Amino acid sequence: MTFEPTISLDKNDELPDSSPLVHRYAQIYLKHDGDQMLLVLPSQAEINADLPWSETWQELKHLLQTKEQSWQVGTNVCLVAQDRLLDARQLQTIAETLDDVKLSLLTVSTNRRQTAVAAATSGYSVEQKPATQPLIEASTEAAETVSALADPLYLQSTVRSGVEIRHPGTIIIFGDLNPGGKAIAAGDILVWGRLRGIAHAGAQGNAQCRITALQMEFTQLRIADAVARAPKLRPRRLSPELAFMTTEGIRLAKTSEFTKRYIFSSPSQAWIDQNQEK
Amino acid sequence: MSRIIVVTSGKGGVGKTTTTSNLGAAIAKQNRSVALIDADFGLRNLDLLLGLEERVVYTAIDVLAGECRLAQALVKDKRLKGLVLLPAAQNRNKESVQPEQMKKIATALAKGYDYILIDCPAGIELGFRNAISAAKEALIVTTPEVAAVRDADRVIGLLEAEGVNKINLIVNRVKPWMVEENKMMSVEDVLELLGVPLIGVVPDDEKVIVATNKGEPLVLGEYDSLPAQAYLNIARRLEGEKVPFLDLMANQGNLLTRLRRMFGG
Repeated sequence: MTFEPTISLDKNDELPDSSPLVHRYAQIYLKHDGDQMLLVLPSQAEINADLPWSETWQELKHLLQTKEQSWQVGTNVCLVAQDRLLDARQLQTIAETLDDVKLSLLTVSTNRRQTAVAAATSGYSVEQKPATQPLIEASTEAAETVSALADPLYLQSTVRSGVEIRHPGTIIIFGDLNPGGKAIAAGDILVWGRLRGIAHAGAQGNAQCRITALQMEFTQLRIADAVARAPKLRPRRLSPELAFMTTEGIRLAKTSEFTKRYIFSSPSQAWIDQNQEK
Repeated sequence: MSRIIVVTSGKGGVGKTTTTSNLGAAIAKQNRSVALIDADFGLRNLDLLLGLEERVVYTAIDVLAGECRLAQALVKDKRLKGLVLLPAAQNRNKESVQPEQMKKIATALAKGYDYILIDCPAGIELGFRNAISAAKEALIVTTPEVAAVRDADRVIGLLEAEGVNKINLIVNRVKPWMVEENKMMSVEDVLELLGVPLIGVVPDDEKVIVATNKGEPLVLGEYDSLPAQAYLNIARRLEGEKVPFLDLMANQGNLLTRLRRMFGG
């Protein structure tokens, strides 16, 4: 399934169909696998249209910066390139970038012949797999079944303007989400800091997902297919708040009060105030 | 060890080139040798601000093409010992240089000078990547405006991804009386958002425009001005000195507003 970007002059203020987002989740990710690490590039179909190589590389560098410390020096990395075409120079760039954070590229796993040839010429071990066979169970699972969420993504840095974090699970940001920055999660979003940018929880349509932050100063919040803008005038409250879906749209509550008052109702796909029900 | 510092902002017109020229002169005044690199190929004006335009013979492009030696292309400032400029070419554009080439030039200069200041072009495209390729440190210039701060934030993110982690902030063109009346973002607001250490606050002053047009860094002027003092302080802070920040409100306002301030109004 590929996503065709369309450009139209729709005057209605609706959010575009959320299905493309599912595909746009696919970002580079790094995971431990025994004594090595897997660096998984999204497949050609998962990234919509042609993402320029420089963007992919930028994303990789950002990922390594925020994930630092979670591996041992000199850990071997297997690059899971799936159906992405990579030339020798791009492979070298990846190897150098990994080298900067004390990781060494050892194996390249691909189902494209050209990539395999390039990798072999550059001296990496190659695992070539036929295109039909799923490479990594986890990634195909996430793409096929909406309910199975990936492991939470833990970021130890401020998400700055222009950075977009997409993850098919829950996102935890230990830092601020600055204006111009974006976090899109299939699960919940937790910001241990100020939320000033855009956060989209339950982006695959799960209305039960919540967004919480120590300080809510967002530009925009989205849960499933609902959008909320920041009220023009907001008292500068310092207590942590939580955003959730109600029958009347997205609402905010103090984190400390939320669990006592609200319960999720599956038929209405919203959180309902228990006190009002009685 | 010489220090290679890029002066960048993301947004244009916030005062990168003015900062580079004044800071260069201020550092030279501290008896340090400093080389300024104009990385704004095609739109160079660092030479104008320094008043060195008519003495430019070769440019960085000529050095890269092997048409002259690096030392020949450097324009020495007659007023200050230790200050040199490597001009950019005006007849080319930013695509004519590659990051590796910039790195080569900066590393070569680093052997002979204490400080290398690189004046970065606006934007985040190739020109920006060229300018930051050799840098070990960065000075972010921003004005207290929402758009400038937003772009600064983006640039800090890009610098961090490139492994430039020593980042300091200069808040330029602060109008203390406007901050006082809550019409302008305060330095604190900017700091809170960007989360990088502050190294200088430069007040808005018409003298900056006058000095720029004359091609004479403000720091070199005979008369003492607040911005010149601010640049000298930044140079001292770069050297590791602890210098208190200027009280920008000291000479501002008339008797009435001063009295009001005194009574906490």
